[in-house]
Amino acid sequence: MNLLTSLPNSTNPIIEFKNEWLWLGNLGELFMVLMFISAIVSAFFYFKNNQDSQFQYLKIARLSLNIHALSVISVFGILFAIIFFHRYEYYYAWRHSSNSLPVYYMISCFWEGQEGSFLLWIFWNAIIALILKRTAGKWESPVLAIIAFAQVVLSSMILGFEIGDFKLGSSPFQLLREERPDFLNIPILGSLGIDNYLQVFKDGNGLNKLLQNYWMVIHPPTLFLGFALAIVPFAYSLSALWNKEDRSWLIPSLIWGLACVGILGTGIIMGGFWAYESLSFGGYWAWDPVENASLLPWLIMTSAVHMIIISKNTGRHLFTSHLLTQLSFWLVLYATFLTRSGILGESSVHSFTDLGLSGQLLIFLLVFIGISTIASFNSTVWRKKSSLILTALFVIPIILAYTLPKSAHDAYSSGIKWLGIIAFLVVLVVFIWNLYKNNKNEIADEHLSSREFWIFLGSMFIILSLIQIFAGTSIPVFNKLFGYKMAVPTEDDYNRIQLWMAMPIMILMAVAQFFHFRETPTAIWVKNISISMITALAVTILLNLNFGIQGIENLLFLFFAVWLVMGNFQIIWQRKKWRFMNWGAPLSHLGFGVLLVGVLVSSVNQNILSTTKSGIALAPEQDEKGKIDLKGVQFNRENLLIYKNEPLTMGDYKVTYRGSKKGIIYDTLDEFFYLHFRNIKTGDTFMLAPKTQNNPKMGLLAEPSTKHFIHKDIFTHVNYHSGMDKKEPYSAFVSDTVVLGQRFTTSSGKCQFTPLQLLKSTDEKGLALKLEIQVERLGRKSLLYPTILINEKDGNLESLPVEDENLGVILTLQNFKIDDPDPEKQKISFVIQSGEKTPVREYVVLKAVLFPWINLVWFGTIIMVVGFVIAVTHRIQVQNKLK
Amino acid sequence: MKPLHIILILIAGIAIAAVVGMWDNTSRYVSFQEADELAKENSSKNYHVVCKLSKAKPIQYDPQKDPNHLVFYAIDSLGFEKRIEFGQPKPQDLERSEKIVLNGRSMGDFFYAETILSKCPSKYEDAPVKEHPANIPRN
Repeated sequence: MNLLTSLPNSTNPIIEFKNEWLWLGNLGELFMVLMFISAIVSAFFYFKNNQDSQFQYLKIARLSLNIHALSVISVFGILFAIIFFHRYEYYYAWRHSSNSLPVYYMISCFWEGQEGSFLLWIFWNAIIALILKRTAGKWESPVLAIIAFAQVVLSSMILGFEIGDFKLGSSPFQLLREERPDFLNIPILGSLGIDNYLQVFKDGNGLNKLLQNYWMVIHPPTLFLGFALAIVPFAYSLSALWNKEDRSWLIPSLIWGLACVGILGTGIIMGGFWAYESLSFGGYWAWDPVENASLLPWLIMTSAVHMIIISKNTGRHLFTSHLLTQLSFWLVLYATFLTRSGILGESSVHSFTDLGLSGQLLIFLLVFIGISTIASFNSTVWRKKSSLILTALFVIPIILAYTLPKSAHDAYSSGIKWLGIIAFLVVLVVFIWNLYKNNKNEIADEHLSSREFWIFLGSMFIILSLIQIFAGTSIPVFNKLFGYKMAVPTEDDYNRIQLWMAMPIMILMAVAQFFHFRETPTAIWVKNISISMITALAVTILLNLNFGIQGIENLLFLFFAVWLVMGNFQIIWQRKKWRFMNWGAPLSHLGFGVLLVGVLVSSVNQNILSTTKSGIALAPEQDEKGKIDLKGVQFNRENLLIYKNEPLTMGDYKVTYRGSKKGIIYDTLDEFFYLHFRNIKTGDTFMLAPKTQNNPKMGLLAEPSTKHFIHKDIFTHVNYHSGMDKKEPYSAFVSDTVVLGQRFTTSSGKCQFTPLQLLKSTDEKGLALKLEIQVERLGRKSLLYPTILINEKDGNLESLPVEDENLGVILTLQNFKIDDPDPEKQKISFVIQSGEKTPVREYVVLKAVLFPWINLVWFGTIIMVVGFVIAVTHRIQVQNKLK
Repeated sequence: MKPLHIILILIAGIAIAAVVGMWDNTSRYVSFQEADELAKENSSKNYHVVCKLSKAKPIQYDPQKDPNHLVFYAIDSLGFEKRIEFGQPKPQDLERSEKIVLNGRSMGDFFYAETILSKCPSKYEDAPVKEHPANIPRN
């Protein structure tokens, strides 16, 4: 802001900026306020209707929900219009889009920025709310009161309200000149006048190159839909607690929970597929904190859904069902906080900058934990008391922070941190204790031969796996809270533990469905489990003849994954007389098994084709006896240098680098490297073209290129190429006169020229004379075409130099003289200036990896999704019949 | 309910063991000097060092000799400089980076990095006004 006051025009306090479409942003702001207020009204009247049912209340609540949804859609549309019409007076459009952006990527601008992402979340919530309004029946009031309240909080995050120093949210309709007042200070505006600043900002910053991928058009909205869906089971559970309902919340929660697990899971895998296709790390999962943050809600929601199934069928474990359902929404908020607050900055490749929204997200999370805790009390008196206590806990520290003198701030904030942590833990314990007390089971023995026992166990093992990922991913939070200096765990740290943790889950997924609810005749489960185990063992042995996997833990993993597939296949087989609608559960489990087989084989058996043994040892030291000490540094050399047109053998392939080609894609210059692969055994050939991109904003980006076969993928990635070397300048410049058709050795003596013919062409500038000349140097030959342009208007000559780095020659046709005008004799002489340097050998540094059977990962996912679709459809049908 | 309780206690036990084991095993952020001292105790454990590229000394990477060998110098937050050796190609934005996070171990006179994460300023912020294309008038 200081910059503004130093502007030359600062004597004139109000500047009329020209050509701004301020009305569009104002309209957007108006709809945002409407969206915010209508959510408050809707939440309030739904709540009132729940406490004291009156049709009047319900009518107002529904009407304001409609207004809210309409406003959300309008805000969404206006932001899109701003991007579509390239209104760069708006910061969001300038920051995240550009003129050359195709329309289908304009939608991706929504998730590059924080405000757009929150808008997308609000959008999905609004759609969900509209569906619930029609379908929730007697649950409409409490459930929608909660969702509308969530909309109030989410809307506040993009309101961009400013009261003094305090800023509530960050608006997507912020103007560029407000966000970056320094831009009005740039020199060129001195002559144009500041009011004309838009004439300078004719193009935007562009969309992050990594988002310009078709998977990035659908992956984020899918993930956000999954996140948004998590609120529904939570709202049902909270409503049931508040209204002291027993079990009727379970069926709708199950349907929405299943949809959430299916869609969130699809979104996660889509992200993995995108990473595999367009990122250079070579894989689909790196245990990156942001990936983990999306996995945490998925794991707990999966676990919660299974608990709900048990509770629905047997009435047991209501406490666990409630707890996990509540936790799953809290974890969605926590995951959003992790990824959006910038707290992961040091440890993650995904980075979002802190917009000051993290504080609001944290408050969002704490408010919901508070509400759940209040609802967990059974007595009205205690609900009132606890809400007073919690409000005090919230408000007093904030008031103190504003009233205390500045000198006391440090002591205050460290004191409040510990008090806050203790208060948080106490609230959590109170919540869990209340939940347990009010939902205790009638103690009765649970049969070991009952399905609920084994599903419960499976859910607990999922939680076990979640705890490790949670603890690892939360390390940056603990660092911040307690001043630790821990780094996040590496991929290996996770893989080593999760490999074992997955095994009990896989066994239970394979066998639990052979048990009936409550009790199963021994003969039946023993028979079914034995059959599935024996077939799985046989299939594993057969498969491993092909895979050749080694290591006891890997073989166990393979066996359990195959068992999981075979067990569920057997269930489908046994139920084949039934309707296909009953396939939901076994099919999604089977798909997950196929996915796990793919994960194991493609990672354990991945083969780095470009491995080499040759290279310089790291800092070798000779001891007194002359022995070289490498200090024990052992590492894999995973990259090969491959010269142009000099084939190299990698694994079963003969690889030839055929050269590179540059091309403009949207707004950046991409360079493709053509690699020809020939299978030595079969003679099959194919081409791969990994690329690099010199991105003005992001530096050099490399995009891999992958050849997909049914049973394997060949992944290639260029890490470096000769064009990135420092260019040696040409030297030894000489000028020579050459005659057409005569071989000539330059004065430097290293280079032979043979001018072959003169080509003429005309373009809009004038006449172009192109000399075809054969150049020989150091045993290499090439045809070059130095050109002279003759401007028709003024008769000026312009020489266009040509260079051939392979030869190490640069040529300029300086002048020519027609000695004999008779075209038959063609006696023309040319003055050619030439420079020379060491010939450049073109090369690429290549990493090539063979991923066997990686298609099983994607294939398994598809089966899983089909399973989920069947399961959700089936549950909806059953529920509709009951009505 | 007995077997259930036993299993639950067992699971809680494994969970605690897994978390404690992981936290104990995970790397820490240290300075180069700390890394030197820690390497004397256990020469195979990796640590993280946050540092920045030393612009005064050249980056040595000659892929025609060895594409898997990079040497450069980096300065940690305490101002201590160290030679870094890396067994992979040069990260593409190393020169532009304003901060580098190394994961590796001290080998005495050099630090062997297993992974390098380089952070570029422009990835996370707007381009500075001077360099921004908006400053070049277009027609």
